[in-house]
Amino acid sequence: MEGLILLASLIVLLCLGVPVAYALGLSALAYFLAIDPYLIQALPQRLFAGMDSYVLISLPFFILMGLVMNASGITRRLIEFSLIFVGWLPGGLGLVNVLASMLFGGISGSSASDTASIGSVLIPEMQRRGYPLQYASGITVASSTMGMIIPPSIPMVLYSVVAQESVGALFLGGLIPGVMVGMIQMALALVIARKQGFPREEVPLGAGHVLRETLRSLPVLLMPLCVVGSVVFGIATATESAALGVVMAVLIGVLVTRQLTVKAFAACLRTAILTSSKIMIIIAFSQVFIWVLALERTPETIAATVIDLGLGPIPLLFFISVIVLAAGTFIDVSPAILLLTPVFLPTLMEAGVSPVQFGVILVSGLAVGACTPPVGNCLNVCAIIANLGIGSIFRGAAPFLVANVLTIALAIVFPQIILWIPSLVMR
Amino acid sequence: MQKGIDKLTRTLEGLISLCLLVMLGLIVVLVLLRYVFNRGLVGANEFVTILFVYTTAIGAALGIGRRDHIQIRFLLDRLQPRGKSALDLFGLVLIALLNAVMLWYSTTWIAVTGGYVMPSTQLARACVQVSVPVGCGLAILYCVVRIIGEWRNQWKG
Repeated sequence: MEGLILLASLIVLLCLGVPVAYALGLSALAYFLAIDPYLIQALPQRLFAGMDSYVLISLPFFILMGLVMNASGITRRLIEFSLIFVGWLPGGLGLVNVLASMLFGGISGSSASDTASIGSVLIPEMQRRGYPLQYASGITVASSTMGMIIPPSIPMVLYSVVAQESVGALFLGGLIPGVMVGMIQMALALVIARKQGFPREEVPLGAGHVLRETLRSLPVLLMPLCVVGSVVFGIATATESAALGVVMAVLIGVLVTRQLTVKAFAACLRTAILTSSKIMIIIAFSQVFIWVLALERTPETIAATVIDLGLGPIPLLFFISVIVLAAGTFIDVSPAILLLTPVFLPTLMEAGVSPVQFGVILVSGLAVGACTPPVGNCLNVCAIIANLGIGSIFRGAAPFLVANVLTIALAIVFPQIILWIPSLVMR
Repeated sequence: MQKGIDKLTRTLEGLISLCLLVMLGLIVVLVLLRYVFNRGLVGANEFVTILFVYTTAIGAALGIGRRDHIQIRFLLDRLQPRGKSALDLFGLVLIALLNAVMLWYSTTWIAVTGGYVMPSTQLARACVQVSVPVGCGLAILYCVVRIIGEWRNQWKG
């Protein structure tokens, strides 16, 4: 009954538009008032414990790294680099969109910044070359999902904190699924381009040009390798590698692209810390909420109920993935990770599912949610850039999101898609 | 009053941006010291965490003023301006209430546990715990400012 107060008040407050962080705190407060007002005393302490985390300091640094790279004008460079490889194929700009997102995803760690950067350059360009606006916006949004899956990934850092799992293993776990999503999306783009008769781009393919473009993009392409590599091989913690990533991004912006100014860097610092704060306060209040769930023994109850159903790990993961996909359409990525992980992870671990596998599947599922109405972060960003309704953009993205759903299904049936690289590298 | 709030907002935004820069600098220095000089810096990690807690508490309060918090706007966006404003006011009153409760109870919590010393910096825990009432106080301030603004714009006259 008391647990019902917690959940009902949370759902009502969220529907009424109360910010997620405070809805979590208020529902916990309602719960305490109902069962034992004495427990309210623990609120500040629990909130503080949620903020007092060294690993989470990586959050503002990863956000800052993406922002600095954006301000340094690397997007144009990645697009020119991608043109060499896929621009000459039918519907070349659509394929460039996907490949550039794949490369950008390895740098920014965020889908929304991927949508903003790639979309602001490629959507007008695709429109100019005769692509329908719905197609150009749809492929931009769908391909940006790789930003969350391909390492480094901000949602994976969040999951690692809640699940107390290795960030390095999660980063590596997302590599094959992320690349798979990109490859399937490119194949789909190629099929659609042939059907619709989309143009090829005229790209000089001489060895000299290819070498020159590769060398021009090399510092940018090496950055994610250094950031992820330093975590995976234990050279630096996630926080340190994110901080070093920021330094590398600043060096690239100042010495290589020469577009980063002091004013732009100051704006990046301000945006990064304000963005990180609004995620961090959700994390802090979610600690209060998770504590209440533990008091109610909710994860254990769910685990016992599900285990009684006698489902094996694969049907169980399919079942939970459907819930994740549905939740992703209504809840933003960060709060969804913080709410769903403590509820489902104990059950899945009981059933023998690896926390790394679930983490990658959870983030991949929520990435799809970022592209679906009514609550889709990437959709909202793209709607502003393309000046198109979110319903229309979603219809353009839907064929490409099949790649994400297919990858999730394959990763459930064949866990090695996620677990192979971590098991190979992090023995 | 609005001028004063704007000035406070700019000052706080500048302050937390500076904190992020200091955190960045300290962590890079720590890595360099470890790999180049095989040395550490006592208390640096703890100091970075203290700054991080303060930036979160203050940044979250600023988020209220900037209407920048993550929320589900599905219902809000479908309402007429007055309905939207009424729900906004309702939410702001609840947020102010929650922060007031936290502010009240945090003083007792700090009084009881704030005297303990942190292992590396040897600072009293209260130095960092104070971030909670500071953040809550600022959150209440921004809630009140927004409630007044919303009231003037939508309901008065």
